[in-house]
Amino acid sequence: MSERAGPLRALSANSALPALVLLVLMFAIYASRDPSALTSFGLGNLVNNALVLAVAAAGLTLVVLSGELDLSGSGVVAIANVVVATTSTGPIGSLGALAAALLVGALVGAVNGCLVTVFGLQSLAVTIGSLIVCQGVALMILGAPGGEVADAIASGVTGDVHGFPIAAIILIGLAAAWLALKNTRQGIALYAVGDDATAARLSGLDVRRTRFFAFTAAGVLYALAGYLFSAEIASGDPRVSDAFLLNMFASVAIGGTSLMGGRGGVIGALIGAGILTVMQKMLFALGVAEFYTNIFNGVIMVAAIFFGQIGALLLGLNRPRAA
Amino acid sequence: MANARHLRAASAVAAMVGMLVAAAPAGAQERQKVFLDMSYSGNSWQASAANGIKALAATPPYDKQVEFKTVISGTDVQHQISDLQSMIASGAAAIILYPLSPTALNRVIKQACAKKVLVFAYDSTVTEPCAYNVSNITARYGANTAQWMVNQMGGKGEVVINHGVAGTTVTTVYDKQALGVFKRYPGIKIVGDFYGNWNDATSQEEVAKILAAHPNIDGIWNVDGSYGALQAVMNGRPNRLVTIAGQSNNGYRLMIADPALQAKGLKGVSSSAGPAVGPYAFKLMMEVLTGKKKLEKHNIEYPLPWVEPKDVKICSGDTFSGGCNTFPAGKVAPLFLDTALNGDLIPELSINAVQTGEPTPGASIKPLPPVTYADDLPGVNCSQCTAPADWLEPNRVEPMPVPK
Amino acid sequence: MTEQAEPTGRPATPQMPPAGSRPRLLSSELAPAALVFAATAALILGLKLMIPGFGSLQQLTAIMVTAIFLVVASFGQGLVILTGGIDLSIGTVMGIGGMIVANLTRGSDAALLYALPIALLCCAGVGVINGLGVALARLPPFIMTLSSATAFFGVALGMTAGSSQQSVAPALQRFVAGHWAGVPLPILFIVVFALAAALFQNRSAAGRQIYAMGSNPRAAAIVGLPVAALTVTVYGLSGLCSGVSGILLAGYSSSATLDMGAALLMPTIAAVVIGGARVTGGAGLYVGTLAGALFLSALSTAITALSFSQGLRSVIQGAVIIVALLLQSRRADRTAS
Repeated sequence: MSERAGPLRALSANSALPALVLLVLMFAIYASRDPSALTSFGLGNLVNNALVLAVAAAGLTLVVLSGELDLSGSGVVAIANVVVATTSTGPIGSLGALAAALLVGALVGAVNGCLVTVFGLQSLAVTIGSLIVCQGVALMILGAPGGEVADAIASGVTGDVHGFPIAAIILIGLAAAWLALKNTRQGIALYAVGDDATAARLSGLDVRRTRFFAFTAAGVLYALAGYLFSAEIASGDPRVSDAFLLNMFASVAIGGTSLMGGRGGVIGALIGAGILTVMQKMLFALGVAEFYTNIFNGVIMVAAIFFGQIGALLLGLNRPRAA
Repeated sequence: MANARHLRAASAVAAMVGMLVAAAPAGAQERQKVFLDMSYSGNSWQASAANGIKALAATPPYDKQVEFKTVISGTDVQHQISDLQSMIASGAAAIILYPLSPTALNRVIKQACAKKVLVFAYDSTVTEPCAYNVSNITARYGANTAQWMVNQMGGKGEVVINHGVAGTTVTTVYDKQALGVFKRYPGIKIVGDFYGNWNDATSQEEVAKILAAHPNIDGIWNVDGSYGALQAVMNGRPNRLVTIAGQSNNGYRLMIADPALQAKGLKGVSSSAGPAVGPYAFKLMMEVLTGKKKLEKHNIEYPLPWVEPKDVKICSGDTFSGGCNTFPAGKVAPLFLDTALNGDLIPELSINAVQTGEPTPGASIKPLPPVTYADDLPGVNCSQCTAPADWLEPNRVEPMPVPK
Repeated sequence: MTEQAEPTGRPATPQMPPAGSRPRLLSSELAPAALVFAATAALILGLKLMIPGFGSLQQLTAIMVTAIFLVVASFGQGLVILTGGIDLSIGTVMGIGGMIVANLTRGSDAALLYALPIALLCCAGVGVINGLGVALARLPPFIMTLSSATAFFGVALGMTAGSSQQSVAPALQRFVAGHWAGVPLPILFIVVFALAAALFQNRSAAGRQIYAMGSNPRAAAIVGLPVAALTVTVYGLSGLCSGVSGILLAGYSSSATLDMGAALLMPTIAAVVIGGARVTGGAGLYVGTLAGALFLSALSTAITALSFSQGLRSVIQGAVIIVALLLQSRRADRTAS
């Protein structure tokens, strides 16, 4: 039976279950070949390497859930990164740099959202345009890799608290924020709008406002990812990485979120980012080298999605219009 | 009881003997783990450099001394960080890499140095002090080539600039040097510039379009993509060629040395970063690893390739022996980078070695001459440092006086 | 595809044109293409006034010649987008096509006889694999094409170390650089290709079936259209077009590297959408894609001519794309039934 905007049963966590299983499996293989995987040093490195992708993928998830696509993520990450690298040691300080970055992200997200919801443009196309604009703006702010990231930021994010990586704390906080959002009216609206916009409108939801919110919130998360990126690389880099953008989408999809909208969740995206990061360690630990890593990357991605879909089918998650 | 004590004593002795045997001098049986970490892949430059390194790693005596592995990290810098951490965890003795960024890898390189791993970067540099940089970015390519062009053009004419990939330190440094030199001569007019992104096909397309808009250009300044740029001129204006500076593709060298083309006005210099810097860095790293060499400073300058038309010398064999530096037309593809080989520093490499990664039969590693240390360039190969006052000036081409 | 409503509120009803009749959408769907052609002309005229020497016949010819790679590859991308999918493997397949031709011909013209078919077969093969993944395994096209691009890049890298060490057959080079009756051969090729493409997409039975499938896959399946076969065909054609584009690029630059097509991926998507196609599928003429490709080529030339820093160039390019989309949508809003 179709359930409309009723109480959610953590469906998104369920659709992330196959992904979680895959992540644990891959980590087990990695740890069995590389004992340093289980040390706090190894785990800390792992979380730090997954952090930026995870946060960016979380932002993308919001847009995808609402039924749209967003290619501007890596561009916003670049702008946020160069903003931090050019301002964090200046008068506005680390917190000011964070605020500036988040503001820029919200702005880009709002522009995207406006173009899609008010002007009715197709999100895939419009966000290609905004990606290119963001690339340009990043280059105009910082012409070559460099800049200076305040030590407080760099060691603040990459460090640990009593052995527990701060990056992990950030991810847990993000997951908690998501779980809170999911059960609010706004969160439920995201799913409803992505699943069937007409039905959502007929049941009284403001489709445009929901999508606008999704794009803006995504922009803020991309900017946060950019801020964390500044901490990880302790510098600014104006170049936008296409590989990163595609990994964002892969994380979202592998984590069980449907690229059509209406199904999935941020937890899945975080797990998906974890899978991509652990996969790299696992392949190295297995001795896969050179171009073979490309081949395995492609095959494993397809397999992960494929088995994720089978898993979702078996768990009965492919019911139409499940809210 | 006595048996157990005897047994314990015997095993203790056995353990000590075992330890002594294991502590035998290195080189007897131990292989050191050495990794090549590539980031970019899929183009001739990267392929030649990587193949050269692989070929050297398989050349005696290195083939017995190292356990060599290549990893392609791709263009995401956090992937490169993660792979480097995996290499450190797996017990690497030395890592040679093509860094994606001068600053982003500093944290992981520090982790490597803390574990006594030797880290060498080739062509692209890092600012982390414990790493070694082997590059010719400090050899003032931009200033030297621009000055050479100005001299050839008599201090006047229309010039087109072919930028490399935007947002890289190489582009920033070389552009600044070249533009600085050109601006000194009021007779030189820069009528157009484009981003060829070090790519010959892109450069060819862009020059074709610019040539159509500016039919009287006299010179094109490139860092790479010069073969494509020249092709566009040969297709679009075959009877009046240009003054050009650029890379060292074999086809390009053959063209600038061709008297028929010179008669149509072609004046070219072949320079730019060559893939041989990779194998050279590898040899240097191995010499440091095996204790044969000690480097006082961490930034080493690879000699800037510099071949003017009169210097082009065709080879008869498969290697750069006897001072030759170019191959005949059919021997290699036109885009083959002649600077993948270096007869003085890396005589062990042949055409086949840089095309396939196979060692040259019968070759064995020859020692390297003393190194030349590089200038400091803040943000490029160091962070708390100052550049020499004249880092924008040419240092191998004598500037001509500004015409009145 | 689910029955999502478009942001403009247009309900997604099946839009299969009745068999035998001309699609009545023709005149309203030609408008995006006409608009883009007009924008291209305005762009060139505008810059001609600002910059002397810009927009000469030679330069326009050069623009058209260098546009050929985008024009050919965008057709394939356009077909895939018509079905509501997307093809991210175009860049890699272009590289593979060029590399195969270079490595097999080794500077010999006679070898083209088998090198060309082998290259095209391999490229179409990658496309067919994409199509099978999307149609049979129900994988999202984004992920399927991305994964196959990654995997096949690795395969090609392993076989060739990333660049071709062989020369491209001179006949191919001569074709791309040649003229006939004063017109460069690539331009003639574009004209012939465009006609064939438009005929296939907008006039053939297969083309109409693809439109139907794209605008409502459920109804198409119910009516009995061979959805799986059409999907595989469409992705196979996209692979084929990428291969042709890569082969032409190898002929143009007399060389081949694996990454030579990478910069063309995003522009193919932009060209298709600027030309009026809907990303959800089911709408968009080929002439629109053609107009989009030409517009993007003219735009990049115009921006280069303005000699700004790269940062500013990108900002302008992105902004113009968004403006182009805005103009398209206004029109789409007005003509939505």
